[in-house]
Order: sequence, then C-alpha cells, then structure tokens
Amino acid sequence: MAPEPPLLSMSGITKSFPGVRALDGVDLDVQAGEVHCLLGQNGAGKSTLIKVLAGAHQPETGTIRWRGEEVTLRSPIAAMRLGIATIYQELDLVEHLSVAENVHLGHEPTAAGFVVRGRAAKASTAALLKRLGHPEVDPGRLVGDLSAAQQQIVSMARALSHDVRLIVMDEPSAALDPDEVDNLFRIVADLTADGVAVVYISHRLEEIRRIGDRVTVLKDGRAVARGLPAESTPTREVVALMTGRNVEYVFPERPSAPPAGEPVLSVRGLARQGEFAPLDLEVRPGEIVGLAGLVGSGRSEILETVYGARKANAGQVLVDGRPLRPGSVRAAVRAGLGLAPEERKAQALLMLESVTRNVSVSAMSRFSRGGWIDRGAELGAARKATRELSLRPDNPSVPVRTLSGGNQQKAVLARWLLRGCRVLLLDEPTRGVDVGARAELYAVIRRLADEGLAVLLVSSEVPEVLGLADRVLVLREGRVVHEAPARELDEHRVLDLVMEGSPAS
Amino acid sequence: MTQHVSPPRDGTGKAAPVDGPPAWRVRLGRADVRTLTLLGVLAVLVLIGGITQPDSFLDTRNLQLVLTQASVIGVVTVGMTFVIVSGGIDLSVGAIVALASVWATTVATQEYGFFGILFTAVVVGVGCGLVNGVLIAFGQMVPFIATLAMLASARGLALQITDGRTQVVTVSSVLDLGERDAYILGIPPLVLVFAAVTVIGWLVLNRTTFGRRTVAVGGNAEAARLAGIDVRRQRLYLYLLSGLCCGIAAFLLIVLAGSGQNTNGNLYELDAIAAAIIGGTLLTGGRGHILGSVLGVLIFTTITNIFALNNLQTDVQQIAKGAIIVAAVLVQRRTASTH
Amino acid sequence: MTKLTSRRGLLFGAAAVSAGAVLTGCTSNDPDDGEDKAAADTQPAADDKPGKPITIGYAGPQADHGWLNAINDNAKKRAEKYSEVTLEVTEGSNDTAQQIGQIETLINKKVDVLVVLPADGKALTQVGLKAMRAGIPVINLDRIFNSPQAYRCWVGGDNYGMGLNAAHYIGEKLKDKPNARVIELAGIDNLELTQQRTQGFDDGLKNYPNIKKVARQAAEFTVESGQAKMAQLLQAQSDFDALWNHDDDQGVGALRAIEQAGRDDFLMVGGAGALSAFEAIKADRGVLKATVLYPPTMAASAIDLARALGQGKGVSGLAEFEIPSTVTCYSAVVDKDNVDQYMSTGFK
Repeated sequence: MAPEPPLLSMSGITKSFPGVRALDGVDLDVQAGEVHCLLGQNGAGKSTLIKVLAGAHQPETGTIRWRGEEVTLRSPIAAMRLGIATIYQELDLVEHLSVAENVHLGHEPTAAGFVVRGRAAKASTAALLKRLGHPEVDPGRLVGDLSAAQQQIVSMARALSHDVRLIVMDEPSAALDPDEVDNLFRIVADLTADGVAVVYISHRLEEIRRIGDRVTVLKDGRAVARGLPAESTPTREVVALMTGRNVEYVFPERPSAPPAGEPVLSVRGLARQGEFAPLDLEVRPGEIVGLAGLVGSGRSEILETVYGARKANAGQVLVDGRPLRPGSVRAAVRAGLGLAPEERKAQALLMLESVTRNVSVSAMSRFSRGGWIDRGAELGAARKATRELSLRPDNPSVPVRTLSGGNQQKAVLARWLLRGCRVLLLDEPTRGVDVGARAELYAVIRRLADEGLAVLLVSSEVPEVLGLADRVLVLREGRVVHEAPARELDEHRVLDLVMEGSPAS
Repeated sequence: MTQHVSPPRDGTGKAAPVDGPPAWRVRLGRADVRTLTLLGVLAVLVLIGGITQPDSFLDTRNLQLVLTQASVIGVVTVGMTFVIVSGGIDLSVGAIVALASVWATTVATQEYGFFGILFTAVVVGVGCGLVNGVLIAFGQMVPFIATLAMLASARGLALQITDGRTQVVTVSSVLDLGERDAYILGIPPLVLVFAAVTVIGWLVLNRTTFGRRTVAVGGNAEAARLAGIDVRRQRLYLYLLSGLCCGIAAFLLIVLAGSGQNTNGNLYELDAIAAAIIGGTLLTGGRGHILGSVLGVLIFTTITNIFALNNLQTDVQQIAKGAIIVAAVLVQRRTASTH
Repeated sequence: MTKLTSRRGLLFGAAAVSAGAVLTGCTSNDPDDGEDKAAADTQPAADDKPGKPITIGYAGPQADHGWLNAINDNAKKRAEKYSEVTLEVTEGSNDTAQQIGQIETLINKKVDVLVVLPADGKALTQVGLKAMRAGIPVINLDRIFNSPQAYRCWVGGDNYGMGLNAAHYIGEKLKDKPNARVIELAGIDNLELTQQRTQGFDDGLKNYPNIKKVARQAAEFTVESGQAKMAQLLQAQSDFDALWNHDDDQGVGALRAIEQAGRDDFLMVGGAGALSAFEAIKADRGVLKATVLYPPTMAASAIDLARALGQGKGVSGLAEFEIPSTVTCYSAVVDKDNVDQYMSTGFK
C-alpha cells in the first residue's frame, strides 16, 4: 500500500485472561492521518486490543511496530512517550481537580522542577480547549461540575497535551448529543489533517460511514476483516462480519389494530422544577409510547419521576385510575410499574450476584414464606422468565456481570416480568447493546407489549423511538412540543422538532 | 467471555442449554476455596499448638476454653458481618457491649434476677442499635460517623453508670451459667448460644428475604431502591440487629466475667471487623460470609490461646496477629484468583 | 516467722499512715527500718488546728478505673475535713491538652497550692514548671513529671515495691516447698509501672532459690481481660503453687476464671487494694490470701502536704522545717491478719 511503513502495525497479538482467550492473533495496521474504525460486539476483544495499544496490558505473543521499528509497550507511560493517547469510554478524570489540573496531571508545567506553574497550565489548557471548539470551558472549574460532553472534551485535551501521533477513542459519541457529535467529528478531521491517526471505536455504523477511512472488524478475539473501505462496505456485510451471520436491523411489526381499552398509566400535570414542565400522557395496555428528545430534554427525569424515584413538584401519576403516592418507588412497584434504568450497572444490577438473584429481587415475596426463600421455586421462576426472553446463556446461576449488555438488559426485563409488572418504563433500553442483539431486544419489547404490557420508552436514538413506539411525544427543554403516531413521523421531522421546537412542516 | 449470540426472534427459549462448566459450580468452588483456606489456617494453628504444647493444647478443656473465649466476640462479629455486607460499618459494638453489660449489672437491675439482667442487656443493645439505625437510615448520617458518635456516648454513659467501678454480679443463676456444672454434654452454654447465633445468622443471610435485601443494599443501594426495596428500613433493621447481637454478647460477657465494667468490649469493633474481613466479607459491601467470619474469630482466639499456652508475651502476640491477618488475606486472594 | 512479725509491725505503721500521718510508712522500702514505729501518731500532717484559709487546686484524671475513682474521693474527703481549705476541683480528664488547659485556669485563678495527678506525667511537665514559676507550689501525685523543677513534692506509690513485697509474701509461704512454681498475671504491658512491678517481683523471688516463675501473661486492668488471660494461664499451667496478680480489678476476672476452672490448689496475691479483694481475704474462702497495696490514700496525703505547704508549716514527726520533696508510699501486704485495719481504705 503506502511506500513508507504504516504508523502502527500490530501483528499476531494474543492475550489471555484466566479462562478466556481475549485476543487470538490479531493484526492491525494504522496509517498516519487516517481514521481507522474498530468494530465488534461486546467481548470481541476491542477493549483488550486498545489496552494493549495503551500499554495497560502486555500481550503474550505478537509484535508491535511503530513507524517500522519494533517496540515494547511496557506501561501506559511508555505508550504515551511514543505519542499514543487513549480516551477511554469511562473517563478517567479526577472529579475534585480542576480542568487544567486534569489536563496536566502527571506532567504539570513546573518551575525549579517542582513548583507547579498554575497560570501556565491554565493558559495552555485554555488554548487546547479552544482548539477543540470549546472555549467556554473554564480551565479553573472542577471537572466534577462539568457535563459529560464537556468532560469528554477535557479528556481529549489531556490526550492532546502530549505530543500525540495516534489517538484511540473508545465510543466517544456514546454520551453526546448530535451537535456535540458534529463538533467531535470536526476535531477528528482537524487531527487527521495534521497527520494524526485516530483509532475510532463505535457501535453506530452511520458514524463510521461519516468519518471512517478504513474498518477492522473483530470477532471472538480475531480480526475477521482488516482495512475494509469504510464508505463503500455495505452495512449488511459489516453486521454479518460482526455477528458471523446475516442480521437485519429491523423493528418488529406493530399490531394491525391500535391498542384500545382504558389507559393503565395516566400522568396528569406531572412536573419537576427546573427539569420538565407539566406533562400529560397516557399509555394503554399493549401500547408502546416513546419519548424523543435530546440529552437534557428531561427524558430520564420524566421516567424517574413517574416511577417515584424523584418526587414531583406537581401533578399525579395514576395506575388504573388510582393515584400513586408521590416520591415512593415502593408504591409504584406495588402498583405494577417497573423501570429499566439508563445506567444498568449503576442503577439496576447487583453485579456480584447471579442472574437468578437479579431477576428475583423485586418479587421475593412470590417464592418466600414468612421471609423464608424457597430457592427451588426461585430458580424455577427465574429460569422461566429468562427463557421467555431468550436470555443467553440459558443458565440463570451465572453471575450477571458475565453477561453481554443485551442479556443484562434482558435480566432487568425478566425481573419485571417475574414481578408481574403491567407498566414498563424503559430508559435507553439498547445503550451498550450490540447492533446484532438490538433487533432481538426490540422484538422482546414488542412481544411484551403484545402480551398486554404498557411500555413507556425513552431513547436518544430517534430511529429507535420511531421504529419501536406506536405513539411518540417529542420533548424539547422539558416540554412536549409534539405528539403523533410514530408512522406519521420521520427522523428529519423529529430532529427539526427537537431543535426548533415548532412543528415545522 | 464467551459470547452467546442468540438466534434472532427466537422468543420461545427453546435453545439448547449451554455447554461448558456451569458457572454456578465455579462459583461454589470459589466459596469452598475460601472456607478451605480458613480451615487450612486453623489446621496449621492447631498443628502448631499441638506440637508446642501437646498436653495442654490438645485437650477437651482447652477446646471448651477457646470456644468460650470466642463466644462473646463471635456473636458481635455475626451482627457486624450483616452490617458490613450492607455496605455499612458499626464502630460502636464494643461500646454498646460495655454499656449493656454495666446497665444490666447495676444493683437495681440485679434485683430482678436472671431475666432482669438478660432483658436489660438485650434492650440496651437493641436501643443503641435503634439510635444508630435511625441516625443512619433517616438522619442520612454516614455510618462511620453515626456509630463513632455512639461509641463515644455509650462509653461515656457506661462510665457514668459505674463511676469506674467494677460491678460484681451476685445473682447466682447468672454466675452458674458460666460454671462447669452448667455444661451440656460437655458444651458450655455460652458456646451453645454462639453456635445458635451463627446458625441463625447464616440462615437469615443466605435463606431469607431479609438476607437478600441486605446483600442487595450492600451490592448496589441505588439498584435496590429502584428494584422496590425499602433501603432505609433495611438499614434501620441491620443496625438494630447489630445492637441485638451486642446485647446478647454483653449478657455472655456478664456470665463469663461475673461482672460488668465500663471498660468491657475494648476494641471489639476492630476485632470484629478484622474477623469479618479475614472471613471473606467485602468491606465495600455486597458480599459476606457468616461462616468465614466465625472462622476468623476462631483463628484469632486460637492464636491468642497458643501464645498464652507458650507463655509468649503481648508484644509478640500483637506482631504475629498482624502478620496472620495479612497472610490470610493474601493467601485467600491468591487462591481465589488462580482458581 | 520473726521476720514476718516484724514486718507486720511495720504494716500497722502503714495503716496508721493511711489513717493519718503521711510520712511514716511512706518513705522507706526497708522492712527493718525501725524508726517508722516512732512516727505512728494519729495526727495529720502539720496539725488539725485550722490555720490561715487557703485554696488548693486539684486536677486529676478521668475516673474510669476504681483506683482512680478512689484517688479523687480521697482528695475530696480529706479537703472537706479542713474548714479553712477550699478545694478547686477540675473535671477529670484523660486528654493531655484538656488537662493542661484546666491547670492553666487554676494558675490564673491564683490558687495557693496545686495538686496534680497528670494524665501523662511527661506531657504535663511544662505546665507544672509554669505553675512553679508562677510561685504556686505543685504536689505531683503518682505519675511523675519529667523534671524535679516542675514539682515541689512528689507523692506516689511504689510499683517496684509492690512486686518485691508480693514476692516476699509468696516466698515466705512457699519457702519450705521444693521446686515451687509461681505465675504472674501482669497489667497492661506497655506501661512502665507494669515493668517495674514485674522487675520487683522477679528481684524479690531471687531470694528464694526453690521458687521458679514459670509463666507470665499480661491482661489490661479490666475484668474481661483478667478472666480471659487467667483462663489461658490455668489451662497452660496445670500445676503451680502461687499466683501474683498486679491489679485487683482484673483480679475479679481472674478469680472468676479460677472459679470456672474449679481450681483451688494454689495461693493468690493481688495488687492495689480493692474492697472486693479485702472482703475475699477476710472471708478466706478462696485462693486469694493477700493483696499488695498501691494506696489511693496517697491523695489524702497529698492534700495534707498541700495544706502544710500553703500554710508554711512543716510536718510533725520529722525534724525538718520543710516537708520532704519526695514521698514514696509503702506497698504494704494486706492479709487476713491485718485486713480489718485496711477495710475502710478499700476502693470499689
């Protein structure tokens, strides 16, 4: 290909953990100035590969060449010295330090070797932030006070504060709104124009199409395709490579007749100061109602307030016409509500526990007597609920942390299925779920609705809301600006609505 | 890490069960390794004791002695294990034992005889636990701070009650319980109480909804709340439980020492925490083992016993105790990770 | 036997001290110092007649132990006896900083004499010096300051003497028994006083070549630890003839362990002089046959000395015009024969 050797060339990399071969002879070439996309399902080996590249893991075999010379990346510092910077998905910033301190952490500009020159650090940080298109971030502010998007910018500024030749970005767009994603792409374009290489990891195929040059697909610790042209490779082919089979990114069919009957969930004038304006909505059994809106539009807050996890300032939540005690999760659960929250690991799952115990936690009274648990009945019930959702592996005794994102989500759904819940509140149900597993999750949700559940769905991915929901409420700054059946809307129109706020025609 | 990709739209769950070692067996195996490690440490200690002092160590009376000495702190440790599993900490256990033991041995209380003493000890323990629980669950105080405050106040109150004096118990039915004549089939009644508390503790933690809620609150309090568990009430109950254990322990101590003193239960909090940690309970909460905690207590008591039998002095005892804590935790971690 | 009798004579003298005259028994460890008897009068130091009114400042530790409680009681009761003496008592504290503050307050109040039982002798030396420089004489009680300049007079117990006298008592009881075995239940091991008591005990036992100390364990001055350590000692030593326990408080626990083990094949000597120990010795039903005093009456003596200092008097029974600079109280052995005399000094 190129006459000169690639910037980075990894070949035959293997890495094992107890019981798992995470990388099994992976090759990866990255040219200077290109955006090289890394694709693969969860557990395919992406994280391990970039950790090897960052010097955080030592491979057992294989060679790494940097500008044609063989190198050993013994530690993150060694990688950083070569000019390899990594921006992890879970940002590794110190919340109690300022932006400038974070950016210069470990290589503070000093006078006399140890006196930190705070002003110089702030000035250079400000310059970096400006280059990244975020001059409004004050270098003196505490990182903990910043938004997720701003924190990501800080993380990027930190990478750029070194003399960087290659940046690894692990799902950088996951927490960003569309306009922030645009800004991210502009930064990536700037970097590549300067000859910096970017290794870009994302689940969103459309992003890869927009900015990627070449694509390497990982599956089960192997590179199943290397250096595919990002623009011209058909989606089908990429998905097939990732999953090892052909999958269509399809949504289940809606029932032919719109759901009738009395609404099981009614929200009347529900409001929380500073989060969302008085809201009215109704969900009938068998119906999926979607809330579409940007980050910060109050989507998650609405769900959590309906659920009683936040206390409303005004309004009521009624289930079967009976009002719920405000601010009480227990009242909501007792009335038949169930929440699959946005942050599954932090808000829903007991990561040290088995699938069974995660599934049974909300319905323990079903198989206990006088507080005494019938463990056989518990296991049986959990097995039934997880089988119904085709949770894999088909063994509810495994620890829930060993499950993939999609199956963890199914464990949460199984919990509410077992509880016998009648209204399901879904907050970003496919976040962190592989492309291949999404369709299946959509099918599960639709089937639950078909069986009579009322579903209230929140997602930042507009196609998901449009594809899955029967009816859509468009939110903008905590206010419903439009309501319509999903089939009467398309992505552009929804985006117009969330940006402009008026139902432009 | 194996990725199980399910066929699309296969909603009926007819897929064949997954091959390979079932994860539950791996998990059970790990729990066994932990227990075995502790048993191994105990076996090594028994070996050392048996070699150095064959006559006085390997002796029924000595077994009775070790178990009796372990009973008081053992009961406290069971309560502490619950609190730690829930992600909390109770620094006030020693002080509660002291307060309960002196309150239950005042001249006035002793007039009510055996049950007066027992009742007072338990009620004082539960009362202190209630205060802890209310402060933590409803006052939103950090457990470390709330129980530290309880430590100071309970010790102070115990001193105020006793004026620094030793309150000797004169109720013979209480004293008799600590004598050899009261042994049932060679087992001291104190040890029977300890065994009962252990068994009940294990059952409650592993077989009841209360235990499940405790683990859930400790593993992820936010998830527990959103799953519909009343986290605050659970926390309240847990500190009540710890207080109850302290009350029982105080009664055992009264029987054992034949007196109540404000200096009782000195540093029990640290001994109980150390035993729980050695036993494999995570200080961060979410996982705990009653049996491990009890083995931890037995290990400590056996060490003290062996040292005393060999006439080693306090300084050597303390050094060795610290070393054994570190060694036990390291060995456990190693066996757990290579398994 | 004659030796024992003569010592008992001396003990009576010491009893008189605690009842009144301070100095007699306190100045000597030598059991054959016959002059003690001469001083066995019943007059308090100086004399009982009211002198000029004075204020004595008293700073003691927190009474979290029976003995310390008795110290505070002795000081207060003694002061009440004198109509012209006002006692300014601070709240007892184990916190060094707090005690320094309390003593400084007393200095500012310009009390005539200070009696101080420091929480920590070394740490409070500076404030002792400060008082002395301000012209307030300091009576240092028991836990000694670092510098003799920080006190006018030190009054304290004799830890070494306790061990010595315990050893002598046990030695005399066992001197005819070949290969006698003795064990020791010490107090908190990292305290200097525990080391001194053990040293005295060991030195005393050297006089009896037939006796061997076969075991020693340290408890923590608490009933609980006394029970625990004694239970282990009993298990370790199936056969021994005598036990010395440093402290009667932990002795309650030790006796409990002995009772639980059903042992009565040895004699036990206690330490400090608790009322419960006196009562057990008097009743003579258990193993406890004697206890070695560490008399809390020293606090009463300190008040007497403070009063003498404040009123510019000497001490009757001594030739000097001034009170002595150090007074070491004698660690008398209390057994069945003389226990009645001490009963009133026993602390709870």
